[in-house]
Amino acid sequence: MAFDYNEVVAKVADTLVRAGSTFRQDKKDAYKRAIANEELERAKWNLETILKNAEVAECNRSPLCDDTGIPHVFVEVGPNKCVTGALLTAIQDGVREGLRQLPGRPMAIMGDDKGRIDMSGGISPDSDALDAAPILIKEVEEDVLRVHVLMLGGGPAIRGITHRIFHKHNIQVVLDEIVTRAKDATRLLGCTPTALAIGVGRSQFEATALMMEAMVYSDFSKQSDMEQYITDKVNESNVGPLGLNGKTTVLATFMKVGPQRASGVRVVAMRPGCCFEPRMACVEL
Amino acid sequence: MEFRTITAPFTDEVLKSLKVGEIVNVSGKIYAARDAVLPKMVKMIEDGTLAENGIDLQGGVIFHTAVSPAGVGPTSSNKLEIEGTMPEMTKAGIRMHLGKGELKKETIEMFKEYGAVYAVIAPVTALLNSKVISKKCVAHPELGMEACYELIVDKFPCIIAAAHGESMF
Repeated sequence: MAFDYNEVVAKVADTLVRAGSTFRQDKKDAYKRAIANEELERAKWNLETILKNAEVAECNRSPLCDDTGIPHVFVEVGPNKCVTGALLTAIQDGVREGLRQLPGRPMAIMGDDKGRIDMSGGISPDSDALDAAPILIKEVEEDVLRVHVLMLGGGPAIRGITHRIFHKHNIQVVLDEIVTRAKDATRLLGCTPTALAIGVGRSQFEATALMMEAMVYSDFSKQSDMEQYITDKVNESNVGPLGLNGKTTVLATFMKVGPQRASGVRVVAMRPGCCFEPRMACVEL
Repeated sequence: MEFRTITAPFTDEVLKSLKVGEIVNVSGKIYAARDAVLPKMVKMIEDGTLAENGIDLQGGVIFHTAVSPAGVGPTSSNKLEIEGTMPEMTKAGIRMHLGKGELKKETIEMFKEYGAVYAVIAPVTALLNSKVISKKCVAHPELGMEACYELIVDKFPCIIAAAHGESMF
């Protein structure tokens, strides 16, 4: 074993706690800009309350939201770095330790396949019974071994959509369909402002993996032309913070476009993150 | 900003005074219940077994939340088992449904018939934790975080999103 097991577990656990309890500076700045931009007093108050909640959670290292989310792990691997099965096990153990520390909401369903679907298997009382989603691994040019932990809540999972779009050889067709889907999703989400995460790929798996990557590399201070267009168009809906009207329905859009196939169809994965997402942090091992 | 505080369970007079868009602080005894337990509570209403568990819904509040070591915070009120049980819960006495997300027009119309309201609360768990004075499981403990809890709360900040047949959606 070419790594220190205890060190990896401790680092991943700390990363999960930070993911579940803190706003990065670029997100805090985005909230401050949104507060300054809102004209409706109620919308301004909602945004201020969300930001104040983040300050208290960071100070206490306690959950931002009672739905602490499902842990998703994304690993960047540089040219001379090595990922072994033992390292992945240590990362999973770090996730479990992080869930104990946060604490994560005990929401793992027990039982066989049928029992886990209809919940007849019962709910585990333990925070650390919650398994992480399958780990995504990506090779990168930088010679690092970096672990990102993302905590994905249930509300955005209800409203997220992975579905094809017939693009008609026109980018506007794709963007407008994304806007339509996002408007419907944010209206029902309840915990806006959202950070829209979008992946465009050749299959459902690829589109979703790209959507995860869009979150991992998200920066609220940077928006491409396409991302800004989607943000602006959805904000015209006036859904606003908590769905109670206002100018800030979308705080930012994060879009990752992967390789595409010669075809009239694009597969688009879209997740309307809640007001705390992307809930994530990273660490170098 | 300072907002008025209303204490649950509510009188008809208090409910009539609430305005759509108004921010209020909710204090007092409220019930926490969500997807799994709400249909079971409807069954308890039908069986007449609520009182055996010390549950009194008259003028009461149902907060759509789990109760766990992570804290409390609203789940989506427009989920099937939550919005779908609102008619029975309202008919049985609940006068404030507290959660998040847009509700159907027919649900809001139904509230008007009973003088009930829908309030939205931000999912600000870190802030809400200091406002929960006590919590007690009162029904279906086997459901863990999805059981029904009685909470005593102090000044939960809420926005009246639907009342008297009007809504913000």
